[in-house]
Amino acid sequence: MTTADQVLLSVTMLRPEEKLLLGALRAEGLTARPLLMEDLAEVVAGRTGGPPALAVIRNLSHRDAINVSRRLEYAGVTTLNRSSVIEACNDKGLQSLLFARHDIPHPVTRHAFSYDQVRSAVGELGMPAVVKPVSGSWGRGVTKMANAECVEAWAGGRESADATGKLFPVVVQAYVDKPGHDLRVVVVGRTPVVAIQRVSDDWRTNTHLGARVQRVEVTAEIDKLCQQVVDVLGPGFYGVDLVEDRAAGELLVLEVNANPEFAKSSATHGVDVAGLYAEFVAEQLSVTATV
Amino acid sequence: MTTAIAAPKCLVCDTEFEVQEDWEKGEITECAACGQEHEVVEKSATGARLDLAPEVEEDWGE
Ligand SMILES: [Zn+2]
Repeated sequence: MTTADQVLLSVTMLRPEEKLLLGALRAEGLTARPLLMEDLAEVVAGRTGGPPALAVIRNLSHRDAINVSRRLEYAGVTTLNRSSVIEACNDKGLQSLLFARHDIPHPVTRHAFSYDQVRSAVGELGMPAVVKPVSGSWGRGVTKMANAECVEAWAGGRESADATGKLFPVVVQAYVDKPGHDLRVVVVGRTPVVAIQRVSDDWRTNTHLGARVQRVEVTAEIDKLCQQVVDVLGPGFYGVDLVEDRAAGELLVLEVNANPEFAKSSATHGVDVAGLYAEFVAEQLSVTATV
Repeated sequence: MTTAIAAPKCLVCDTEFEVQEDWEKGEITECAACGQEHEVVEKSATGARLDLAPEVEEDWGE
């Protein structure tokens, strides 16, 4: 028997962001408590009373997020987001394959498993192109290849640090000539609840690199792209990054994040993301309970 | 046997933390004086034990 209203909030650490979520879950009338990595053994062993009804995965560490969600799912606990979704979202190569398979507009992306494949992919896509590690965050390791010298400098530097090519695959992506900003849309369930524009002088627009944020309207085009993403991944909690291709005049889905940060930008746009997410969690529980 | 935990001090500047009623294990809290982030590793009715917050690791973040 599951403890019908019990929600675990799996975290690497309880930042103000996750504390907000915890408060919102409790405000929905749910019995929510944090789950630290060290507590997982007891939970999967069933030594903490009935299994929880649901676990919200908010681990900062991608490795921990996968570990916790998989183990809970195998123990029969529903997770949000699901482990398969977290896995796809933590790998830019897997994402691009999913997008291609489901006709989701996305920059042209190739996998490369060797330095030679990087060279030929850049040659195929034309320069500038962007090389990205398949997993990685906050824009780390993302390199813009403006010309052949860049490619050789990248390959040379990396080959000396990783001669056996353990750090492959990488993805090589067509560079999108965007108009100085990109869009982050927070999706709760199926609904794009808020869109923010990130403006930056750097070609990478991560807020961690100093991008400014401002709220923009969720247009029909933004909504349509988010629906396509949700159709593929299922309802959940996502940060969908969109980028405007100036040449084609259309929006592309650059990537989807399964652990979107919301606390800092909530202060700017005023949308209660934590509250909306807690409502969605409560809805999921009532659906499960009636089955 | 359990030992009582007293109000913790900042591990960097020694300033005493005010123990918050709603602190949870794993919570990150900042020293009011120097801003150093600490993690609540244990919490009791009377106090808490703090450690330095973990450093950002390679696979963290968006
Ligand atoms: Zn201090």
